[in-house]
Parts: sequence; C-alpha cells; structure tokens
Amino acid sequence: MTQFIFFSGKGGVGKTSMACAHAVRYADEGQRTLIVTTDPASNLADVFEQEIGHQVTPIAGVPNLSAMEIDPDKATQEYIDRAMAPIRTAFPPQIVQVMEEQMSGPCTAEVAAFDRFTDFLDVPANNGLAFDVVIFDTAPTGHTIRLLELPAEWSQSIDAASAGSGQTCLGPAAAIQDAKHKYERALSAMRQSAQTSFVFVLHPEAISIKETRRAIHELIKLDIETFRLIINGIIPPEGALNPLFAARAKMQAGYLVQIESGFPYSKQCMTLLADEIKGISKLRQVGKIFFDGEPASRLDEGASVQLQSETLSSSLDDVRARIQPNGHRRTVFFAGKGGVGKTVASCITAVWLAREGHKTLLLTTDPAAHLGDVLDTLVGDEVTPVSEQANLWAANIDPKAAAETYKARILDDARQRGRPESAILMMEEELNSPCTEEMAAFDKFIEYASQDEWDSVIFDTAPTGHTLRLLELPVDWSKQIDVKVFASVDATAADDVAKERFGKVIEMMSDPRQSTFAFVMYPESTPILEAWRAAQELGTVGVHPGLVVANMVIPPEHTTTPFVQSRRIMQEKYLKEIAQRFSVPLVQIPLLPIEIKGLKMLTELGEQMYDMEKVTV
Amino acid sequence: MSNVIPLLNTLPTSVAPADVEFFDPPMCCPTGLCGPTLDQTLLDMNEIVLTLQRDHVRVERYQMASNPNAFLSNAEVMKLVREKQMEALPIIVVRGRVIKVGAYPSAEEISAALNGEIK
Repeated sequence: MTQFIFFSGKGGVGKTSMACAHAVRYADEGQRTLIVTTDPASNLADVFEQEIGHQVTPIAGVPNLSAMEIDPDKATQEYIDRAMAPIRTAFPPQIVQVMEEQMSGPCTAEVAAFDRFTDFLDVPANNGLAFDVVIFDTAPTGHTIRLLELPAEWSQSIDAASAGSGQTCLGPAAAIQDAKHKYERALSAMRQSAQTSFVFVLHPEAISIKETRRAIHELIKLDIETFRLIINGIIPPEGALNPLFAARAKMQAGYLVQIESGFPYSKQCMTLLADEIKGISKLRQVGKIFFDGEPASRLDEGASVQLQSETLSSSLDDVRARIQPNGHRRTVFFAGKGGVGKTVASCITAVWLAREGHKTLLLTTDPAAHLGDVLDTLVGDEVTPVSEQANLWAANIDPKAAAETYKARILDDARQRGRPESAILMMEEELNSPCTEEMAAFDKFIEYASQDEWDSVIFDTAPTGHTLRLLELPVDWSKQIDVKVFASVDATAADDVAKERFGKVIEMMSDPRQSTFAFVMYPESTPILEAWRAAQELGTVGVHPGLVVANMVIPPEHTTTPFVQSRRIMQEKYLKEIAQRFSVPLVQIPLLPIEIKGLKMLTELGEQMYDMEKVTV
Repeated sequence: MSNVIPLLNTLPTSVAPADVEFFDPPMCCPTGLCGPTLDQTLLDMNEIVLTLQRDHVRVERYQMASNPNAFLSNAEVMKLVREKQMEALPIIVVRGRVIKVGAYPSAEEISAALNGEIK
C-alpha cells in the first residue's frame, strides 16, 4: 500500500528541506518515492537544484526519486483547455471569448489545482508503476487547511446541489458523481492512519507552536489524527557560545518544554545548521543528522571568510518615502512567504506611522493571523483602536466570519424581498461554495481600505500564493463584470457600482504614490526566490515591489563565533542578492535575543529601522 | 492520464427532452450568487424554476461550459447562437419550441406556453 506523508507547518520553518530530506532517505532505502508540492510558490526545484515543473520528473542522482510541482496556473490552463476543446470547435468566436474570460475566474483555479492534488492521492501511479511513498510538501498552513477542507466541503456542496438547483460551480451535479467519488476516496485515504501521516514542522517559538496547535485542531475536526512533529532550527551547543544565540537557545529550551508537554505525538528534533540546505549531498547529510543522530559536520575554522559588515540598508529617506503618506493616503502591503515576519514588519511599521501622527489602520486577512500576539492586545473582527497607542486601529478579517456575514446579508436581503423559504434554502446551499470565503474576505478588505478617514493603511497580507489570488481578484472580477455586461445579462446599477469600486482598488494598488508593496524575506536562498516569483507574478497585474524587508538579520557586532560568523556570511551574500534582484530600498529587522512582542519593543524597532538618526544622535 | 473531462459531454440521462429547457448565458451558477453582485433577475428565475418543479414540470438548465452538447444537439438553438451570438442568450425552449430569445420569460409566459397557448 502506498504511504502518504504530508509535510505541514508555517512557511519558513524548513518544511521543504525536511520533506526533501525524507524523500531522499526513502529513495536511498530503495523505496519508489514521489515528492509533490501543491505550494503555489513552490521551491522544490531550488532545493534539488534542477528543473522540475508540472510533471513527474526523475531526480538526477537519486535513482528511486521523482518530483513534481503542481503549478496552479498551469493546472488551471490545462483544465480550461480540456473544458474549452468542444466549445472552440462548435461555437462562434465571440462566445468562445466570453467563455474563456469566464473560465479565468478564481473558482476555476481552485477547482483545477485541487483536481490535480487529488489525482495523486487517488492513483499515485507513474506509467503503471505505483509509488511506495508519496510525500506532499504542502502549502503554508492556512492554505493547506483550505485545501484539505475542500474535499469535505465539496462532497457537501455536491450533495446539496443534487437536492437544489442541480448545478454548482463544478458543473451539473449528475455529471460530477465521478469526481465526487474521487474526492471522497482522497479524504478517506487521508484518514487512514495506516496509510497517511501528517508531519508538522515547527520552530521552538510561541507563534510556531500556536500555529501548529491550530492546524492540528483543524485537521482533527476533519477526522484526521495521525500526527508527528519535527522541531527544527534547534541551536546546537557550538552555536550557543555567543550571547545572542545563547539567549535564543535559552528561549528555545523553554518552548521545547511546552512542546513536550503540549503535544501527545511522536517528536523529533533537527539542529540548526551553520549553512543552508541545498543539493542532494546536503540532503543526505541532513538525513544522517536527523535519522542517524550524527553530529552536524564541524565547521572549518580556517575557512572563515572576512566579514564585510557593511551597511546593506538603503538610505532612510528612500525607505521612509515608501511608507509615509505623501499628501494623500498610502496603503502598504506586506507580502512574502508565510512565517517570514510579515506580521512583525507590518506591526513595526504601523506603530511607527501612528507615532509619527498618521491615523493608521492595520489589517490582516490571513487565516493564520497573529496580529494580536505581536501587538500584545486583543484584535478582533471589527476595526478597534489599539489601546495605549494613539492613532492606531487594527482589525483581523477572518475569512470564515466574513463569509458568514456576507451570507447573512444576502439571505436577509432575499427575505426582505419576500423570496420564499425554498428559494432561500437553495441560495444558502449555493453560498456554501468554497469561493464565498475568499470573496467575502476580499470584499471586507476593500470596504476598510476604501474608507477615507485613514492616512495610512497597513495590510499584513496572507501567505504569498493565497495573497496573489486575493490581490489578483479585483482584476478578475472587473473582467467578470465586463463579461456579464457583454453577455447581455442585465447590467444592473449594482454592477456599475461594484465595477467602480473594484476599479478604484486596482488603480490604488498599481499606483506607487498610493500603494507600496513591501516584500518581507529572510536573507536565505529559498525565501528570496519565492518573494521574487511572487513579485513577478504581481508584475503581471501591474503591481511592482516598492520596498524589501530583510528579517532576522544577525547584527555584525554579534558575529563572535565561527557558527554565527558562518551564518552571517551566508546572510550577507543574500542581502546583496536581495538588493540586486529587487533594486528598491531595503530595510532590515535585526535578529533579537527574544521574540518581537508588545508596543515598547515595536516602537524601539521602528525607530531603529526608520529613524536611526534619532537613536544615534 | 486521460485527457477527457468526464464533466463534459454528458447529455441529460433522460431520453425525452424536459418540458422547459433554459439555455443560459455563461455565468458562475444559476442563481448568480457566485458573481460579485447579485442579479435579481436570476433569483426571480430560480424561483420560477422551483415553482415549476414543485408542479412536476420537468425543467433543465444548460450552460455552455458544462453542457455544450445540450446546445449542440438542438439545431434551432445553435442556429440562433451562430446568428446572434451572445445576444441570443438566454434561449428558453418549451416542449421543443423556442419561446423566448435574449431574455428570461415571466412565469406567465412559461405557463401559457406549457398550456399550448400561442402568443
């Protein structure tokens, strides 16, 4: 029986490295192994140092190993092509065009990506040759959960559709019985503890622990209960010889105790390495450390490269010009892979702007949001002032709650119009589609972001892949509205209002005087590539990066041991790469002995990042 | 991997055509709820469909994306689509006869057609 292993955990915790190290180890043991990524910002190719792409690809140098990256865009295009084939031959060009426009909507992308995902759970065969192990390097947590929740929601919505209008976003209910069985089989395979296990990779840090707990809780609700934990990034004894790293090691020890007592699952630890995990031989070495308990290879003391310790940050005037309101309101979007510090960067920036006297709104739509943790205050669903910080308001847009509100509003309206209960019931079924959440969350964001009272709006966006779809929505939507008008479905006044509203948002996001996209990343290879890809994807909708934020940068004055020096050298190489690749102002958040939390710390960091003169004078 | 989507090319399982057939313009779902704004006309239409179904009238709704064959197998519908393109949709067929082109009918129009009345 094929074994399925899902690697989960917030992005940036080393999920892909650990998944790849497992894949290489199983393959080396003689098991036919496939590693699949469903992450929209996949980086398998970076870790294996070879092109992979959208098909099962043998990995050079590892005989039993294949890999595949499910590219959501490509999956969507394949799906559209297959669906459009009969239409292209039979219908006139105008209709073909309308249909193609419509197929480019967000629902199609969800459906298509998920369809590919279940393909591998259902029949993991490659030319009739079954795999012994299929490893899923899944997307960051919030997105993972949505993906895994889909089968349950979809079976429900397919059942509901059979009873209701007979049609769903997926097509006529009668025709998707086949797909339905496929999704049910997928979910049932996920629930077989003899066949499937979920591995959570986490750091010994508060947010990572909270995140893991939340994700496990969500899965338990879906009757999935086979879990294993990998606690990654443990500072080794030779790393803790330095005061900064010693303080962090002490902090880690406290959290390890919490993990030990808080999670009744099997646990394994993985050491923080002095260099990065890339390439087959490094993955094999990681396997030896992880599975066989071998010590990490000793650093070559002689090879210590001269630290440059130059200030790689940009001029503060340039940086400030990208975040301060400039005669009109400015919206700053923090983008980047989940876990790289978008929340921290947005909190520091929002607090700094508020203290500069700008009326500031801090927003998130990330289902895994932790604004409240960082601000050390309660942040709810509605816009509320942050206590003890004048000029600052915050809100946490929960997609599920937003969807409920949205549903309630539409159904109330229908009742007021005197629609019969049978129709209301059907509408309710239709609204239970997975797309409602995404749409509702975005709707809410627009509602807040277009309020005129704010000088600054800071948007702590969701992890990259999710963010992109969300942010691309307005463009898609205005296309869809065009289609509706074009399709001679009555162009109601409501459509015009909506179109104007979305138009304003698109304009705002693509105007660098009104908006700044700030990409947050660690100075490490994979996060930079991911941010770069995300930036390029945004470029296709006319949105370009305005600022880059490098997080967890080791301050030069702390590079007192070979271990820390080795990590700082790696960081400097990548700080340079960031500056070259993005050619926009760069700002750094230092690595600190403790986690960033509370207004006092946020204030100090804001001054250090945006106001250095003030501090040094 | 098969290159065929089983969702497509699926004709209604019943042999006899439904009493009332809707050939809808392209949209997300028949209620219009999936779109960014609500279309009350579509909601009205839905209610009419539900009422008809309650009265045991057999109703089918077809969309080009999911039921291209329903369009293709109705020569008159295809003729209208080729001539008028998007302008033709929706097309409503009652017992094999086209009763409305380019707009949705009222409940009265449908029941009149079902009762064999000629407009």
